[in-house]
Amino acid sequence: MRNLALLSAATLAACLAAGIVAAAEAPLPAHPVRVVSMNLCADELVLRLADRDQIAAVTWLARDPRGSSVFAEAAGVPLTRGLSEEVIALKPDLVIAGAFTTRSAVGMLKRIGMPMLELGLPGDFEGVRAQIRTVAKALGHPDRGEALVADLDRGLETVAAAPRPLRALVMRPNGFTVAPGSLGDAVIRAAGLVNVAAEIGRDRSGQVPLEAAAFAEADLIVLDDSGSGTPSLADALLHHPVLEQLRREGRTVSIPNRLWNCPGSQVAEVVKRLAKAARERTVLQ
Amino acid sequence: MRLAVENAVIRLGGRTILNGVTLGVGPGEFVGLVGPNGAGKTTLLRLLAGLIAPATGRVTIDDRPLNDVSRDERARRLSAFFQNAGIGWPMRVREIVGLGRLPHRRTFAAESAADQEAIARAMAMTEVAGLADRIEPTLSSGERMRVLLARALCVEAEMLLADEPITALDPAHQLDVMALLRRVSHDGAGVIAVLHDLTLAARYCDRLVVMAEGRIVADGAPATALQDGLLRSVFGVTAQRGSHVDGGAYILPWARAGREPGETRP
Amino acid sequence: MSAPLRPAIVERSRPGRLLVPALAILVGMLVLASIACGYAAFDVSAAFADWLAGRNTLPALVLSELRIPRALLGALVGFSLGLTGAVMQGYLRNPLADPGILGISSAAALGAVIVFYSGMAGALSLALPLGGIAGAAGAALAINLLAMRGTGTLGLILAGVGLSSLAGALTALALNFAPNPYAALEIVFWLMGSLTDRSMDHVWLCLPLMLVGWLLMLSTGRALDALSLGEDTAASLGFDLVSVRLRIVTGAALAVGSGVAVSGAIGFVGLVVPHLVRPLVGARPSASLLPSGFAGAALVLVADIAVRLLPTRPELKLGVVTALVGAPFLIGLLFHHRGRG
Repeated sequence: MRNLALLSAATLAACLAAGIVAAAEAPLPAHPVRVVSMNLCADELVLRLADRDQIAAVTWLARDPRGSSVFAEAAGVPLTRGLSEEVIALKPDLVIAGAFTTRSAVGMLKRIGMPMLELGLPGDFEGVRAQIRTVAKALGHPDRGEALVADLDRGLETVAAAPRPLRALVMRPNGFTVAPGSLGDAVIRAAGLVNVAAEIGRDRSGQVPLEAAAFAEADLIVLDDSGSGTPSLADALLHHPVLEQLRREGRTVSIPNRLWNCPGSQVAEVVKRLAKAARERTVLQ
Repeated sequence: MRLAVENAVIRLGGRTILNGVTLGVGPGEFVGLVGPNGAGKTTLLRLLAGLIAPATGRVTIDDRPLNDVSRDERARRLSAFFQNAGIGWPMRVREIVGLGRLPHRRTFAAESAADQEAIARAMAMTEVAGLADRIEPTLSSGERMRVLLARALCVEAEMLLADEPITALDPAHQLDVMALLRRVSHDGAGVIAVLHDLTLAARYCDRLVVMAEGRIVADGAPATALQDGLLRSVFGVTAQRGSHVDGGAYILPWARAGREPGETRP
Repeated sequence: MSAPLRPAIVERSRPGRLLVPALAILVGMLVLASIACGYAAFDVSAAFADWLAGRNTLPALVLSELRIPRALLGALVGFSLGLTGAVMQGYLRNPLADPGILGISSAAALGAVIVFYSGMAGALSLALPLGGIAGAAGAALAINLLAMRGTGTLGLILAGVGLSSLAGALTALALNFAPNPYAALEIVFWLMGSLTDRSMDHVWLCLPLMLVGWLLMLSTGRALDALSLGEDTAASLGFDLVSVRLRIVTGAALAVGSGVAVSGAIGFVGLVVPHLVRPLVGARPSASLLPSGFAGAALVLVADIAVRLLPTRPELKLGVVTALVGAPFLIGLLFHHRGRG
């Protein structure tokens, strides 16, 4: 749980990277029966696509209701902290890892010939579809992958895009935003909005200073204030008087980070909520 | 003012440092506190200055218990000279001397004209006026001692307590300081000084208080206090006595007692 | 004898007397510069007019809830650190003393972290600075006990190094135990300090506590002068050393503890500024108190303007900038001190 922010930060920081599947050294089994997932986004796809008895373990992050969209499904599934020792002890016949997380453990597992599927960070919906299909195929359930893709597409089709291209700015805890070229950016565009971060985007790390956010002339500031109820400076920032004022003006919309931390069918829900907020905001204006 | 201690006992870590000491010193007296190392001289001086409290017995100023005298009043009436702590910061000589006026100044108040005159007087008396702008680390140890003495004098208190004021001074300045302390006492203040040099103590003090093992073993005019027997038993020395053509008597520790004179001959 | 002395006295105290107003003006100008400096360009004077007129415009809000609190906190925290450094150096007769080096700042951070992440402080309440003050007071007392046992200059510094490492480790531990997933990443704020995105609430929270702390410490100025001749002489000059110790420990804890609770621990300010002002005001401890406070305020304001002007993003923590200046300074002082014995 401690590394949640770091993981999502790395996820976001690396969102320019497209890529879907890295080449695996060891041949992947057609029907794996002991699958270990080493990354939150892999957890989400594995928990949605695999049979429960195929799953040997997911990461501890999968059970965090704040960061994970499958925290309910993860109940009762064995957890690891993504350490190579834990993974080896589980004797997996398929390991699914993120292309940007737990690199040293992944390298070690590849060296000893562990069947490994590495997932990149898709920057658009086509990449999401491809990733879902890849994981589904590796799990031996290509049909479920097609169903999930259909879910995503249905979700996207039913969205009525915003009537006007309102300006949206995502403020995640610690001021991280959604950089242009990332899936988050694609989600904002799919809702018919303009991602303001593309204009501010002089910041390599993807952080937005609060006063830059205030003056970004964003019609919608997207926050996740479904806080855990436990204090942190990151959450305290979301209650800064400047943001409180914007909230009173109806310029904020709260969308849980777990819905778009990872590529998956759930991102359609974000598109839907953004478009809805934009419609309400348009009426207000 | 009369500063007195009655039947004072001080114990420190199971050891009795002062064991029933009674002493009174009045205005105009120059009292030398002498005794071998560890006799309790400095402890008695600190007791008289109100820095430590006796286990039994009491210290009084004009028959008032020292505890009943306010801190400020005590600081104005009783000045104490200690040189063992040194000077913590490279201050200018005049600033160091000026610290003696702190008991006379209110918080945040600047020096008054009276303060400045007292500072100038004290610096003139100790012949450090020429050093006024010098910074402490540039002083010789003799100069530093005189500056600290000027600091103590500039309180212009009724009683001056001095811990080893002539240690580390050259002979000329030792004579100067002893003459100065005598002048201070003859001007009306009481002076109590811890001294190691019996010759100078006997020559300049009006009265010598001899201490040994936490007790006062002799108290009187130098000639009566420093009897041969006492010199032998307390200090373990024999002394030569004589008189100068100007009429002054002197006493000079000459040899370790109980040894052949030749053994301590240079 | 006194007549020729007097002009010399006036001559000497002149730079000292002008220094405080000069530094106060400098701090005022730096506060304005800090307010003018930020990530978004907007008409500050128009925003100021809006704010004064009570118009709740966005520029007025950014000015009053981001720029002004940031500048004020920089001045307040800097004054606290500079003044505390000067007082600690005077009291311990130790030119290397500093709330950061002696571990008082890191202990304050520990106290604030425990209170904040355990949820005791709620959204933002008095409990937060009180946590910092409790931590700072604990460390200041520990340093005092060591000083009373006659620990030398370097011994005190080494004890401070130990104390700050311990407090830093316990802070990391407390953050790892904190239930919020972001907590562990926030150790950088607590150990290096920052004024980013603070609000006026933070100012109101620490200002009264700091003022009391400043007054307590300033009230010991004369005693610090007397203490430069040792405890016996100071006591003979009428100073109640127990009261002096109590005022210094309480004052330092109030000023540093409440400052660290809202800005994290910013190092080296208290070490550096007394040495910068001493050549101008002389070595007498009381003479360097107010100038050190103002110089500390100026230093933190300059550092906080620098982190916003430097092209590093996310912006550097304040402690990084002050350490870049302060750490070489400390090493230089150590060598100088060793040379002098």
